[in-house]
Amino acid sequence: MSRAGGITNAVNVGIAVQADWENREFISNISLNVRRLFEFLLQFEATTKSKLAALNEKLDILERRLEVLEVQVSTATTNPSVFT
Amino acid sequence: MAIPVEEAIAALSTFSLEDEQPDVQGLAVFLSSERYATNSPIEYGDVAAYRLSLAEDTKAINQLNTLIQEGKEMASLLYTYRSCVKALPQLPDSMKHSQADLYLETYQVLDLEMSRLREIQRWQASAASKLAADMQRFSRPERLINGPTTTHFWSMLKLLDVLVQLDHLKNAKASIPNDFSWYKRTFTQVSARWQDTDSMREELDDLQIFLSTRWAILLNLHAEMFRTNTVEDILQVLIVFCVESLELDFALLFPERHTLLRVLPVLVVLATSSEKDSESLYKRVKINRLLNIFKNDIVIPAFPDLHLSPAAMLKELSMYFPSFSGQTRLLSLPAPHEIPSRELQDYQRHYLIVNHIGTIRAEHDDFSIRFASAMNQIVILKSSDGADIEWSREVKGNMYDLVVEGFQLLSRWTGRVWEQCAWKFSRPCKEPASLDFHDNATTFFDYEKVVRWNYATEERKALLELVSYIKSVGLMMQHCDTLVADALWETIHAEVQDFVQDKLDTMLRTTFRKKKDLSRILSDMRTLSADWMANTSKTEPELRSLNQESDETKQNTFYPRPVAPTAAQVHCLQFLICELVSGGNLRKPGGLFGNSGSGFSVEDLKQLETFFYKLSFFLHILDYTATIGTVTDVGFLWFREFYLESSRVIQFPIECSLPWMLVDHVIESQDAGLLGSILMPFDIYNDSAQHALSVLKQRFLYDEIEAEVDLCFDQLVYKLNEIIFSYYKSCAASALLDQSFLSACDDVDKYSVKPIRFDEIFKLRRVKVLGRSIDLRNLITQRMNKLFRENIDYLFDHFENQDLCAIVELEQLLDILKLTHQLLSKDLELDSYTLMLNEMQENLSLVSFSSRVSYQIWNAMQNDFLPNFILCNTTQRFIRSSKGARHAPQKTTIPSRKPYFYCGSQDLNLAYQSLAELYSEFFGIPHMFALVRLLGSRSLPWIIRALLDHISSKITAIVPQITGLQEALPKSIGLLPFDGGIAGCQKIIHEQLTWGAKSDLKTEVLHGLKEIGSALYWMSLLDIVLRQVDTTQFMQVAPWLGLVPGTDGELKQADNDNSPIVNLLKSATNAIISNPTCPNPSSFLIMSKQAEAADILYKTITNAGSVLEYTLAFTSAALDRHYNKWSAAPKTGFIDITASRDFYRIFSGLQFGYLEETILDPSKKHELLGDSVAWAGCTIIYLLGQQQHFELFDFSYQFLNVAEVESVTVSQPLSCERGRSANYLQGYENLLEAMKKARRLNNHVFSMLRARCPLEEKVACAIKQSGAPQHRVKFVNTVSAFETLPQKGA
Repeated sequence: MSRAGGITNAVNVGIAVQADWENREFISNISLNVRRLFEFLLQFEATTKSKLAALNEKLDILERRLEVLEVQVSTATTNPSVFT
Repeated sequence: MAIPVEEAIAALSTFSLEDEQPDVQGLAVFLSSERYATNSPIEYGDVAAYRLSLAEDTKAINQLNTLIQEGKEMASLLYTYRSCVKALPQLPDSMKHSQADLYLETYQVLDLEMSRLREIQRWQASAASKLAADMQRFSRPERLINGPTTTHFWSMLKLLDVLVQLDHLKNAKASIPNDFSWYKRTFTQVSARWQDTDSMREELDDLQIFLSTRWAILLNLHAEMFRTNTVEDILQVLIVFCVESLELDFALLFPERHTLLRVLPVLVVLATSSEKDSESLYKRVKINRLLNIFKNDIVIPAFPDLHLSPAAMLKELSMYFPSFSGQTRLLSLPAPHEIPSRELQDYQRHYLIVNHIGTIRAEHDDFSIRFASAMNQIVILKSSDGADIEWSREVKGNMYDLVVEGFQLLSRWTGRVWEQCAWKFSRPCKEPASLDFHDNATTFFDYEKVVRWNYATEERKALLELVSYIKSVGLMMQHCDTLVADALWETIHAEVQDFVQDKLDTMLRTTFRKKKDLSRILSDMRTLSADWMANTSKTEPELRSLNQESDETKQNTFYPRPVAPTAAQVHCLQFLICELVSGGNLRKPGGLFGNSGSGFSVEDLKQLETFFYKLSFFLHILDYTATIGTVTDVGFLWFREFYLESSRVIQFPIECSLPWMLVDHVIESQDAGLLGSILMPFDIYNDSAQHALSVLKQRFLYDEIEAEVDLCFDQLVYKLNEIIFSYYKSCAASALLDQSFLSACDDVDKYSVKPIRFDEIFKLRRVKVLGRSIDLRNLITQRMNKLFRENIDYLFDHFENQDLCAIVELEQLLDILKLTHQLLSKDLELDSYTLMLNEMQENLSLVSFSSRVSYQIWNAMQNDFLPNFILCNTTQRFIRSSKGARHAPQKTTIPSRKPYFYCGSQDLNLAYQSLAELYSEFFGIPHMFALVRLLGSRSLPWIIRALLDHISSKITAIVPQITGLQEALPKSIGLLPFDGGIAGCQKIIHEQLTWGAKSDLKTEVLHGLKEIGSALYWMSLLDIVLRQVDTTQFMQVAPWLGLVPGTDGELKQADNDNSPIVNLLKSATNAIISNPTCPNPSSFLIMSKQAEAADILYKTITNAGSVLEYTLAFTSAALDRHYNKWSAAPKTGFIDITASRDFYRIFSGLQFGYLEETILDPSKKHELLGDSVAWAGCTIIYLLGQQQHFELFDFSYQFLNVAEVESVTVSQPLSCERGRSANYLQGYENLLEAMKKARRLNNHVFSMLRARCPLEEKVACAIKQSGAPQHRVKFVNTVSAFETLPQKGA
């Protein structure tokens, strides 16, 4: 082999390349959709986190209010005499 | 497969994934593998399939790539190397005997590190020889093998770059030779006991030479290369390749550009260092081109905090490569520190981002808009079936162009950041002390000079802005990754097919028809990449029409497939194009596409060139995610290993850290526009952490970054809270500021607040920091709750350190705080203000009625207000007595707090302070309003009760003193005789009031009376205020309760059955319940019940009594206990004049003495006691039923009568002797005036008492028909109130 270039078996290579293009179309289709699926999951996780955080905030507030109420009730129950 | 994949995926989009969170952060760590398509994931294993005889070339590429990979790991090892010796312990004297053990341990520790260095030494030797061998093999003129390909060029250049970087690092790191010499010392100590250490010693010496020789790696490489002296050709080819790529600068991302810039000087040195033919290089590349490149980029980033300078490098290398030292033109380039000041300006302009930020901003805005619209087009295209093919191709092509543009923009921007950093590192700030005046004692790290003091404010701003642009564009592009991927593939496919099927076809038929060799290459290109069957998926009729069309136009029409060419295909195509234009001869002069001697038309050459460079960019686009990761990586801004070593510290404080400096800049500048970028610097940390873990692979670096991020984030949240709080506080304060004050004020702008929007920050529920997801909103809410409590607490503390007059200020500040809370509650879910206030007032308990404020008010009244304040009846104000000892509680000095604890900004603080100062000197109606509002109906009764008890105890306290005074009175005191005149009267009074020895008692009684009087007057003030408040409330409530005034002014219920509020809600509820569509009426039922409750509650409130009347009743009751002592029943049943020792007589004497005293010593006038003595005295007298006795027998009154008579008798008959009469009354004018005043005051008090507490019945019943006196009389008006009061101690 003295010169560059020179595909030794051009016809065969051409057929193989054609087949390769078609195979790869299938592969890229599948891989792209897998990636889309994956992206969906990521986004789902992110938004779910946000929603859970919002829920958590509300629970937090309720919890704190409950705590205050408990304290108030306890002050009342420890001094029953004032209510008689 | 039941459901097609596309449909399944499309179904996912029906899920609602809306998220309120704005994108104010860049990409957090994303999933990416280490090998991307750019590097061929299968190591060019598929190249062989194209049968281009590139096996040798591929093998060489893979070998070089492996070396590059290894070399990079070595480089990161060297870069992160930290001195071990510094950490070695010193032995205390007591343990000197185990010195040998320490040596052994040290040796073992160091041996591990040194073995790594040894490995580097070995590796560089093998890499150099392999690279040299590779170059020699592929530069044989006879060309037995195909290659080198472009990819191969790149591999060579990159390996060379790695070697240069290693060498540079080895030169720069001082700790390595340092550690080594320690190692050698311990080795001699330890090896004394070993045998056969010669080989080890030899090895050590070798390593020492390697470590201590500068540029050892490069010298070694040079030696390897020129062993056979055939590499000049390939070096020249590489230089041409570098220069052309740099000059074209199309397909290069910044890392590649920097690589070329770093390698080029070394290549030049190597190429010109051989003995023969050193000028042949300039035949291929004009020296000016090289000079231009070196001049344009005078500093090149090498490592995050290490830069290279081509000029300095050339100069230094000329010492090691003697034949190079002849290149005077290259050597005369100025190094960065030698640049003349005129050129310095130009470089400064070029390197500093602040000079380009305007353009960058415009580019960013323009690009974002166009990119977003292109993306929308893609979405529309996807959602429409059977769109026009032309249009769809155009939309996709447009998207492709924008992605290319985006990558180039990002690469240029990030490159700018790198270059600015390198420039800053090369030009440290000269005198940091001048910038920082208050910190001049400390010495500065070098790192502070190059980073902390080296960025001006605008530069920080520009840098932050640029980083935000990089991150946000990167995020935007990453988000649409899967959306645009197939469009990009399709476009690339179309480009390639268009070229190989269409353009090459034309070329084959025209230019290359005659040239067998070349046309063979062209057809090879078509064979290996053409996709002839891409249109088979089309339906039959379409195909047919296509065929017809193609028959007519004689063109190959094809349909793009969403499949991109593989790396191997691109590789082969590039190789073939190179072959084509160079004719297989690398040594052709003029560069790759530069010549026209080979018979190509210019047009063809141009087409080939464009396609060639497009091909190299395809790879970046196919590697979408990885490319974005590379071009948006700004993690290098944190790393400072080199400076850490030279500064001999473990780590720098965060103030020196560039990311934190940026955050701090946002906080300090309070720039509303930058606030959205406040989290961007944390992306720098994210990048740094990723770099530390996946590239440098050093756990300790990650730990350090993590620690810094933890600290910074805490600081950020803390400071952010402060900003938010003070912003909202100033808003509230400026809204509450008196409008009439504002309209009279000169510069109103001072008090208005510039709007800042925080809502984006409030929406951040998941901030990504170092892989953790943080709920920033939650953190802000938590701290805000805490801050409110601290603020309330502080205000109370502040109040407790002042006297009672500060209550107006307290109320003002609490009002501002309340409004702040209201404003903030619109955005954040805060705890309720009342709850927080109650909590801080320690008033949460249901059974306690005192609170912190009420306790403090009572405390202040008892200890300071009642003893030390004096009343002025005319102004209705209490003022602090100047003489009165200040028994004020010990004032603990509170540290002055930040302005946001008051009103937010300094200006507003001043305004409010001067407003509050107006109220700080007295206590009057405004204070009482503030007090009533602060205490509310809950604590007010508590304080009233406390005050009443105080009155009663004070009365009890003065009883013994009064008894003492009573005893000191003479047995009989008659009326004053008129004949003695006023002088005589005064004398008589003096004789009768023989209290001289009992002046202590006198003052005690007077003070006691004063306190009682003050308390009484305080109650009357409270009464006035409560009346007003109650009336207002009544006016609001009356219509709802259906109260109307009756004929006599009394209240009447308009309807007999129900009040309007109950009726209204009842009928509404009935209407709703009767409506069958109402699903759940229970809430309306509850509302109607609540209305009934409200009705009852408010009706009772309208019957509230008067506080003053109650007080008087209470006082009267308290006096009843002492009635016998102070009001002796006359034995005769008639008024006892001479022997009476009733209270009125005592008070009369006291009043006379007091009046005389104030006249004699004008300085004491009204300063000691004020008007409240009269209030107390008159009230007691009145309540004891002695008012008329007092008015008849009071000394001063009698004295006044005498004076009146005298002035009439003296002045009338002897009108001619006016002067005498004047003389006669001389000296008594003041006394008389004071007495008149006292009489007026007493009359005022008596009339008030008569109005509020009528005693007619008492007077009438004072003496019974039988003559026996009736002592105890009940007051009709307040009976009920009095009866229900639990008596203290009763």
